[in-house]
Amino acid sequence: MLNLGLDVVTTAAILFIVSAGLLMIFGVMKIINFSHGAFLTLGGYSSVIVGHAGLNWWWSVPFALLTGFVLGIGVERFIVRPLYARPLDAILATWGLGIIVGQIITLVFGREVQMVVSPVDGAIAVFGGHYSVYRLILVGVAVLVALALGGLLNGTRLGLQTRAVIMNESLARALGISSARVRFMTFCTGAALASAAGALITPLSSVDPNMGVPWIVGAFMLVLVSGSSLLSLALASLVLGGAQVLVSTFVNPVLGGLTIAVLAALLLRLRPEGFARG
Amino acid sequence: MMKKFSSSRYTRSVLAAALGAYLLAASCAALAADPVKIGVPVGLSGANSVVAPSVVQAAQLAVDEINAKGGILGRQVSLEVADDGSGAAGAQKAFDSLIFDKKVNALISMETSAARNAGLPIVTRGKVPYIYTSFYEGRSCNRYMYVDAWVPDQQVAPIVDYFMKQDHAKTFFLVGSDYAFGRGMLDFTKSYIEKKGGKVVGNEYLPMDGSDWTSIISKLQGAKPDAIITSTAGGAPNVTLTKQLRAAGVTIPYGNLAVDEGTAKSMGADAAGIYISGSYVTNIDSPANHAFLAAMQKRFGSDLKTPNDLSVPEYEAIYLYKAAVEKAGSFDTAKVTPALAQVSFNGPRGDIKMDKQHHTPLTMYLGQVQTDGSVKVIQSFASVDPGAQCPGLK
Amino acid sequence: MADPVSSISIPTATTAPWKGPVALGVAGLVVLAVCSVAMPTFLVNNLIRAFLYAAVALTVDLLWGYTGILTFGQSAFFGIGAYAAGLIFTHLGFSWGYAALALVAGIGVAWAVSRVVGWLAFYHGASPLYASVVTLVLPIVLVQGIYSGGEFTGSSSGLSGFDSFDIPIELWFFIAGAFLIVLAVMAWLFVSSDAGRLLVAIRENEVRCEYLGIDVSRYKARLMDTAAVIAALAGFLFACVQMVVAPEYAGFVFGTELVIWVALGGRGSLLGPIVGTMLIDVGSAYLSGDLPYIWTLLVGIAFVVVIVAMPRGLAPLIAGGVRHLVPRRRRAAAVPVAFCSAQARAQDHAHDAWPALSVHDVQKHFGSLKVLDGITFDARAGELLSLIGPNGAGKSTLMRCIADGAERSGGSVKISGTEIGTLAPYDCVALGVGRKFQTATVFESLTVGEALRIARHRVAPPSRWRREPTLALPQPALDVLRTTGLDRMSDRECRYLSHGQKQALELAMVLALEPHTVLLDEPTAGLTKQERTQIGEIFVALSSRYRMCLLLVEHDLDFVQQISSRIVVLHQGRIVMDGGVDEVVGSELVRAVYAGESHAGEPRVGELNSEGQP
Repeated sequence: MLNLGLDVVTTAAILFIVSAGLLMIFGVMKIINFSHGAFLTLGGYSSVIVGHAGLNWWWSVPFALLTGFVLGIGVERFIVRPLYARPLDAILATWGLGIIVGQIITLVFGREVQMVVSPVDGAIAVFGGHYSVYRLILVGVAVLVALALGGLLNGTRLGLQTRAVIMNESLARALGISSARVRFMTFCTGAALASAAGALITPLSSVDPNMGVPWIVGAFMLVLVSGSSLLSLALASLVLGGAQVLVSTFVNPVLGGLTIAVLAALLLRLRPEGFARG
Repeated sequence: MMKKFSSSRYTRSVLAAALGAYLLAASCAALAADPVKIGVPVGLSGANSVVAPSVVQAAQLAVDEINAKGGILGRQVSLEVADDGSGAAGAQKAFDSLIFDKKVNALISMETSAARNAGLPIVTRGKVPYIYTSFYEGRSCNRYMYVDAWVPDQQVAPIVDYFMKQDHAKTFFLVGSDYAFGRGMLDFTKSYIEKKGGKVVGNEYLPMDGSDWTSIISKLQGAKPDAIITSTAGGAPNVTLTKQLRAAGVTIPYGNLAVDEGTAKSMGADAAGIYISGSYVTNIDSPANHAFLAAMQKRFGSDLKTPNDLSVPEYEAIYLYKAAVEKAGSFDTAKVTPALAQVSFNGPRGDIKMDKQHHTPLTMYLGQVQTDGSVKVIQSFASVDPGAQCPGLK
Repeated sequence: MADPVSSISIPTATTAPWKGPVALGVAGLVVLAVCSVAMPTFLVNNLIRAFLYAAVALTVDLLWGYTGILTFGQSAFFGIGAYAAGLIFTHLGFSWGYAALALVAGIGVAWAVSRVVGWLAFYHGASPLYASVVTLVLPIVLVQGIYSGGEFTGSSSGLSGFDSFDIPIELWFFIAGAFLIVLAVMAWLFVSSDAGRLLVAIRENEVRCEYLGIDVSRYKARLMDTAAVIAALAGFLFACVQMVVAPEYAGFVFGTELVIWVALGGRGSLLGPIVGTMLIDVGSAYLSGDLPYIWTLLVGIAFVVVIVAMPRGLAPLIAGGVRHLVPRRRRAAAVPVAFCSAQARAQDHAHDAWPALSVHDVQKHFGSLKVLDGITFDARAGELLSLIGPNGAGKSTLMRCIADGAERSGGSVKISGTEIGTLAPYDCVALGVGRKFQTATVFESLTVGEALRIARHRVAPPSRWRREPTLALPQPALDVLRTTGLDRMSDRECRYLSHGQKQALELAMVLALEPHTVLLDEPTAGLTKQERTQIGEIFVALSSRYRMCLLLVEHDLDFVQQISSRIVVLHQGRIVMDGGVDEVVGSELVRAVYAGESHAGEPRVGELNSEGQP
């Protein structure tokens, strides 16, 4: 029972970390960044590079942030910006970008599964049971991410401008806010976050050119039901992630893998705002 | 009257004769030089792309060796490699291309089951002998297809027997990827365990591309089995499952039916202690294996991809084809196909003869991954029977 | 009452438009028959697959290129058709009876699944993003279902080894090719017909279509049903000829490949996707052995470049090439249309006793902000009621609440005595309300004639395979067209109209609906003085001559004073005054409400009343 509860909480934390970057981009720019999986993969390979360089694994997180940010600059400038007025086309273009990045990574690193040494291993005794240390650490990381993003949005001037653009872009521009700059910074931050998430999940998964793909659909279903609120995302991660764990455990892992997508689709049909306040 | 000697006429006739001789020789040479084409449709892209290079290398070595000794029935052999994308759609294109465009004499390769199934109708339509060199879930039967790799009936017994005898394991937990191979292996494992008096306390599957084993591991820990046996899809699922098992602190005996030496080595410390079972490990101590490894090293040097249980059968299959053609005395499919069941070849894996309903009895090796990544052979089982795979084919 | 029937006849030169495509189609069939025996086997095998993929790509083009529904799910329907054949032939065996059963099952299941997708994705107010997401989830769910089917569905290995029709491969080549050609010809006829223009209208301006009485959601759902059945048919043929089915044919990678082929070939051009699909598919068969990774990378790069920089894909290049080969024919879009008077529909006098519009205690709030409160008034046929008030008073919101049943938060709205409840805009149109938007929203890519025909959709559904040379419109609409000169511009694309002309066109479109009540949201915005006079006369004619009830939201108080029969003043969401023109214009209250208002170029309250107080 305890294990189940911990499964739910840690799964929700992982989903939150993976989806936070996508949420930022969707909230401000109203487009779904389909290259999100490619950025996750980029983060995973950043871990590999750090490992080959002989450094401590924890360096991969800042390194992944950096690579994600840098790639995000190019992507925003050349692919996303020309497609501001065509959101459906932006989905396709970012999907194409995902394919390109995947192929380039394959050409550079090869198609094998890469090994990344885990920073912490094994389980610790928790209330009488055993639970994976790293998964528990990720809960803390998720809280950190939420606080950091929340702090950025609520405590800085750029954050204030971002929230204005989220609420009403034309009004914000009329007030002199450079929405182009806000979009640019948002995309790069979201991309950096996605990359960092990719690095953070490597101790629990493998690193190969397609590692990001299974996360895409789940992440953006969560983002769609969350609108533009971090709180909604946390709630959605908990509810839908919990549903996934419960279905996987008590019914069938195949159906469990589908839970988030199907439940989110139904929820949006019945309540288009999802978990956000109406 | 004496004919005047005309040097020009003499020159012309000599030239004509020379030309005629040259043309004759050239046409003979052309006929003789018409190479035997062996088609290798393999997953250069897609799920099999990690192992495909080693398969192609093994094929290349076999062809080089055969050509150096004069080829097959006096004709040189050439390889035609095509990408089957590790899936059905790509396989159809690849098989089509090899059989109808390149017009190969035989197909010898490893495929995913989806690719193999997609290619078989084309093989039947094109009437070409096909040696399938990959281990698989068994019971795929076609008049033109022979299999020189293992099936579940051969691979599972060593591990289960060992756990039951050595570790006194009575209860087993089975985990796999939800696809034909995974299910086929574990279904056979379950019935084998129960036949031997053991009990299966859990049997869980994740979708092939699933990477989150959390709930399954929690169930595993709840069921408290004596041993765990897994059969996941190759590559990522093996790695994710192992990592997550170790992260959760699972240390019971762990038999992995679907991991090869190379992946195990690259998994590092997490893989230590895992038991694997296969028909080939690089440590096999036989003259044939030593010679093979030396030849591979010499041929490919630093580009060498470690020979494994998927590439060595390819090497042996090409030799088997050569033997069958020589026995039949022709390249005609109708004659070569039955001959494939009658010939044998002594290769790195021992004596190979595909005479059990188009499948092959094999020597199986039980190994354990060491902390340095190498595999130590614990036991070997000679001539394990593949069982009744294709009763309709005899 | 009505003016004498007037019709402007334009020399029409439309030959039967179906002759061209059908002739080309027959020629194609002949070429196909020859090729089936002349081409090498390898190419024949490849082309069979390519033909069937191209057929599915065609459905994607109809949905996405023409109608704007980005769908990743056509592969799922293809897979359903294929698996129907695979499953039945594997588990029950093969015979003509079983083949017919498989065909019916495949099409039936595909249709049923499409109904579910339609319910999920297409409803009033759905976002296009959500619809695309649903079509993305569909193949994922289907494939997982196939994977977990174990031996029954063949799981990831698929099903093979089943028997199929015993016909030579050349005949299959002809069948697959003929399927594609017939489909292409039918699609060509459909998109160039009058009904086909509706696809473009939906893509460009879905909201306008809804307010023209068209149930857009239902239309899209039916379109998807048709596409699903076609894709399932292609899948069935595929399974029969290939004798193998695998999950990847139903998966979302194939679904996205279809979109990529359509994008590269040229969306919205029919021929582009066909050629693009065949080139890429056959090309990959030849090249992928040599460059497995590079090939995918190149396709990916081409795809991104096309989406970003060349949205029309390669079609313009192909079209340019075709135009050199095929003799020039007049493009369908340039066909001029003659307008004539529509037969007056049998008047339904049962509702005459009721006021045309009856609004009772209507409220609208966003959260705790009340935008409208306690709005109550009646309007009768023949009245020209102007709604005035400062910005933010709630005028446009009130208009929306009258035309869209889902908009208001409370109260009731009755059109000719019928409560609108929560009816969607297209149903409100059926009750007799027409709404003209504040910004002139017409269909940029369509011509004037086509736009008006779309407006008549509810009353006179357009032909699905040809283009009518005439269009019957009710007299009020004809009057507007004649007054503004638009009746002579039936073949001009809307994007080339001036602002005033667009306003007039939109008004004519609304009038084409034959409404009893017309809602006009700032109709004089951006018009010249002359245009304002013109349109004022039209409004007066509509209410006095045609007995329509007009509800006008306006800022130009001069204009309001000249034409209205009654004025309602709105302030902070409440009605503060409701009376005759002189009564309202001269009142202290209104002046107080407008105190401090200054609209550039608009007359201020103080200027109106020339003998009044400042």
